[in-house]
Amino acid sequence: MKLSLPKPTFWTIVLAFIWILGIYAVFTRFYYGLGAATNLSDQFPWGIWIGFDILVGVGLAAGGFVVAATVYIFNLKTYKPIARSTILTAFLGYLLVIGALMIDLGKPYNVWHPLIMWNHHSVMFEVGWCVMLYTTVLFLEFLPVLFERFRLERPLRIIRSITVPLVIVGVLLSTLHQSSLGTLYVIVPDKLHPLWYSGLLPLYFFISAIAAGLAMVIFESYLSARAFGKELEFSLLAQLSRIIVLVLGLYLMVRVQDMSSRGALQYVFDGSQESLYFLLEVGLGVLLPIILFLTPKIRNNTAGLFLGAVFTLLGFVMHRLNVAITGMTRSAGVEYVPTWMELAVTASIVAAGIVIFRYAAKYLPIFSQEEAFGVHPPPLVSAGKSGRLAMGLLGVLLLAILIGLGFGWMQEKPVDLHLRIESAVAQPASTLELPLPIVYEMGEASPGAVTFSHENHIDPSAPQCKTCHSGIFKMRPLKAGALGSVQMDLLYEKKQCGICHNGDDAFNVEDNCEVCHVAIDE
Amino acid sequence: MTKSAILTDLTQCIGCEACALACKEINELPKDTPLHLLTASTWSAVEHRNGVNIRRQCMHCEEPACVSACPVAALEKTASGAVIYDAGKCMGCRYCMVACPFAVPKYEWDKSIPTIQKCILCYETALSRGAEPACTSACPTGATIFGERDALIREAQNRIAAHPDAYVNHIYGLREAGGTSVLYLSAVPFAELGFPANIMEDAYPKLTWKVLSKIPNIVSTGGVLLLGIWWIINRRIKLQDDHPSSV
Ligand code: HEC
Ligand code: HEC
Repeated sequence: MKLSLPKPTFWTIVLAFIWILGIYAVFTRFYYGLGAATNLSDQFPWGIWIGFDILVGVGLAAGGFVVAATVYIFNLKTYKPIARSTILTAFLGYLLVIGALMIDLGKPYNVWHPLIMWNHHSVMFEVGWCVMLYTTVLFLEFLPVLFERFRLERPLRIIRSITVPLVIVGVLLSTLHQSSLGTLYVIVPDKLHPLWYSGLLPLYFFISAIAAGLAMVIFESYLSARAFGKELEFSLLAQLSRIIVLVLGLYLMVRVQDMSSRGALQYVFDGSQESLYFLLEVGLGVLLPIILFLTPKIRNNTAGLFLGAVFTLLGFVMHRLNVAITGMTRSAGVEYVPTWMELAVTASIVAAGIVIFRYAAKYLPIFSQEEAFGVHPPPLVSAGKSGRLAMGLLGVLLLAILIGLGFGWMQEKPVDLHLRIESAVAQPASTLELPLPIVYEMGEASPGAVTFSHENHIDPSAPQCKTCHSGIFKMRPLKAGALGSVQMDLLYEKKQCGICHNGDDAFNVEDNCEVCHVAIDE
Repeated sequence: MTKSAILTDLTQCIGCEACALACKEINELPKDTPLHLLTASTWSAVEHRNGVNIRRQCMHCEEPACVSACPVAALEKTASGAVIYDAGKCMGCRYCMVACPFAVPKYEWDKSIPTIQKCILCYETALSRGAEPACTSACPTGATIFGERDALIREAQNRIAAHPDAYVNHIYGLREAGGTSVLYLSAVPFAELGFPANIMEDAYPKLTWKVLSKIPNIVSTGGVLLLGIWWIINRRIKLQDDHPSSV
C-alpha cells in the first residue's frame, strides 16, 4: 500500500513551517534562555512543556502497557493485532517526552544524574527512573519488529523468550510512572486549587491514563486504518470502548466522592474561572464520552467510536493542563499564557511523532497480523521527498539545540526580565524613614551645638547603614532617647565622626570647627 | 554544630536594606536589581507593605519540601540548619520551585544554562567557619539576629511576653511547614504581610513520602499478582489444548 497524503505538498509545507518555527524557538531557548522563549517565571516555573509535552505525552503512551498486559498476561490474543502499533506509539511517545524534557531542563546534559545521585524521597527521582527504565522496556518490546524486518532470527528468539517478564516489568513501571506524575503535585496542597488537589492525585493520574491509553488505541487504529487502508478491528475497538466506560465511570465516582469528603464540591459551581474549566473537563471529557459510548447508535459505528475516543482524550488533556496550569494560576498570582515559541516546540514534537509513526508503519511490520517471516517485507526504498525533508529538519532541530547551547555558553545575553519582575509585584515607594536631625547636647566648653543630619549623610537609593551602625555608633541608645556620647578627643584620634572627617573622606576636624559647631549666641 | 537560625523582629526593622545589600556583597550577586523582591540576584529582600518593612529570605525549613523534591539531591539540609544547593548536581527541573510552599527558590531565566538561586544562610562564606551570616551582622537595629534556634525561640517568646501589645501572639516559623530555621515576630497578623496563610503545620515532604513509601509494596504485590494471573491463564489454555474434551 503506497502512502498517499491527501495533498502531499500542502502537508509538507505545513510541516516544514511548524518545524522551522520550532527550530527557531529551540535556538532562542538555548541562546537567550528560557525566559526569552517562554512565559515561564519564578511565579510560574512549569508551563505547557511540562503540562502538555510530559504529563499528556506520557499518559497517551499508556495504551502501550494496557494492551501489552491484555495480550501477553491476560492472554487475550484477539488483541494482538493492535499490540504492535500501541507499543510503537508508547515508545515514540516516551522518546518525544525525553526530547521535550531536554528543551525544558535547565541543564539537559545532567539528565542522567538521577542514576548516580539518589534521593529516594523525591517524586521526580522516581519519575526519572521510571522514564529511563520504561523507555528501555519499550525499546525491548519493540525490538522484535526490527528483528523481523531485518530477519534476525536468533535475537528474535531470545527476545521472544523474555516477553512475559518484560511485559510484567513494563506494566509495573507504567503503573508507578503514570501515578507518580500525579504524586508530583501532592506536595503542593496550598498551591493547587481544591478542585484538583487531592491526596489521591496519583490514583486519578493512573486511572485516567488507562482510559486515555485505550482511547488512544481507538483513535490511532481509526486514523491508521484510513491512512493505510487497513481493515479496522472493529469488534476489538468496540470492546475497548466498553472498558473505557467502566474506567471513566470509576474515575468519576472516586473523584466526586473524594471532592465531597474534602469539601471541594462548593467550588464546582462558584462561577470562577477554575469552576468553568473544571466543568468543561468533566462534562466534555468524562460524562460526554460515557454517554457516547453507551448510546448504541454511536457505539455501533467506527466514526462514533472515534468521536467517543476523541472526547476521552480531550478530557484527559484538559485534566493534565488543569492540574499543571489552571489550578496553579491563582496561587501563583500571575496569569500564564504560553508564548508562540512554546506552542511551536510542542507542535514540532507532536508533528515529529506523527511523521515517525507514519514511516515506521510504512517500512516496519507494525500492522501485520501474522508473524512477518513468511511475508515479504516491503522493500527499503528511500523515504521520498517528504521523508528526506522530515529527517533533514529533525537534524536541523538537533543542530539548533547544540548551536544554541554552545553560543549561549560563550556569551550570556541578558534579556530584560526586570519589566516582568516589576509588573509581577507592584511595589509602593520605599518607606525608608530617616531620623530627624540630631542635635547633640553641648559638652563642657563646646564651641557650639552640633547637628548631625542623616539626610546629608545618606544616599536614600543605597543607604549603607552598616558603615556606621552598629559598629561605630550604636542605635539602641538612640531608640531609648539617649544619644551615644561623642567626644572631641576621640574625633581628633580619627574615631567616631573622625573616621570619615579625616580630611580624605570628608572635611577634617581640625580646620572645620565651625562647620559642625554652630554657635548659637550670635 | 549547633542548629543555627535567624529571628527577624519586623517591629524593629527600619527598612534600610542593609541586610539585602550585605547579602549581595558577600554572595557576589549583581547589584542592579530591585531589593524588594526575591529574584535570582536578590536572595535577601526587604519588601515594604502596609507600612511594614518585611525582610524576605529562604525559610530554611527543618524538613524542607525542596530537599525532598530534588531528584538529584542537589539541595541539602545541613546539620548547621542551612539548606544549601549544589549547582553541579542540579539538572534544572525546577521541581523545588514548584514544591516550596514559600516560593523561595528562584531561577536564572535569562541564562542558557540556568541554575537555582536562593539564600544558603552564608553556609560557605560564614556558617561553616563559625561566623554569622552577612545579613544579620549588617543589621543596624538588631531587627534580624542570628543564633541558636532554641535560644531564638526563647528570645521571641520573651519579647512577646514582655510587650504583649506590641506583637501578635505568633512566632511565624515555630510550627509552619513543620518548623523553620528563620523565625519572625510582627505587630501585624502575618497573613496581611504576604506570608502564606494557609501553610500546613506539618512538614510537606510527609505528603509525598506517604505515597512513595508504598512503592515497594505496589511492586512486590503487583509483580506476584501479574505473574500469578499469567501462570493461571496460561495453564488453563495449555490444559485446554492438551485435553480439549475435559473443559
Ligand atoms: C561615614 C563617614 C562619615 C561619618 C562617620 C560622619 N560623617 Fe559627617 N560627613 C561625611 C561626608 C562625606 C560629608 C560631606 C561633606 C564633605 O564634602 O566633606 C559630611 C558632612 C558633614 C557635615 C556638613 C553637612 C551638614 O550636614 O551640615 C556635618 C555637620 C557633619 N558631616 C557632621 C558629622 C558628625 C557630627 C558626625 C559624627 C556624629 C559625622 N559627621 C560622621 C561623612 C561622614
Ligand atoms: C565632625 C564634626 C565636628 C567638628 C569638625 C568639630 N567637632 Fe567638636 N564636637 C563634635 C561633637 C558631635 C561634639 C559632642 C557634642 C558637644 O559637646 O557639643 C563635640 C564636642 C566638642 C567639645 C566639647 C568637649 C568634648 O571634648 O567632647 C569641644 C571643646 C569641641 N568639640 C571643640 C572642637 C574644636 C575646637 C573643633 C575644631 C578644631 C571641633 N570641635 C570640631 C563634633 C565636631
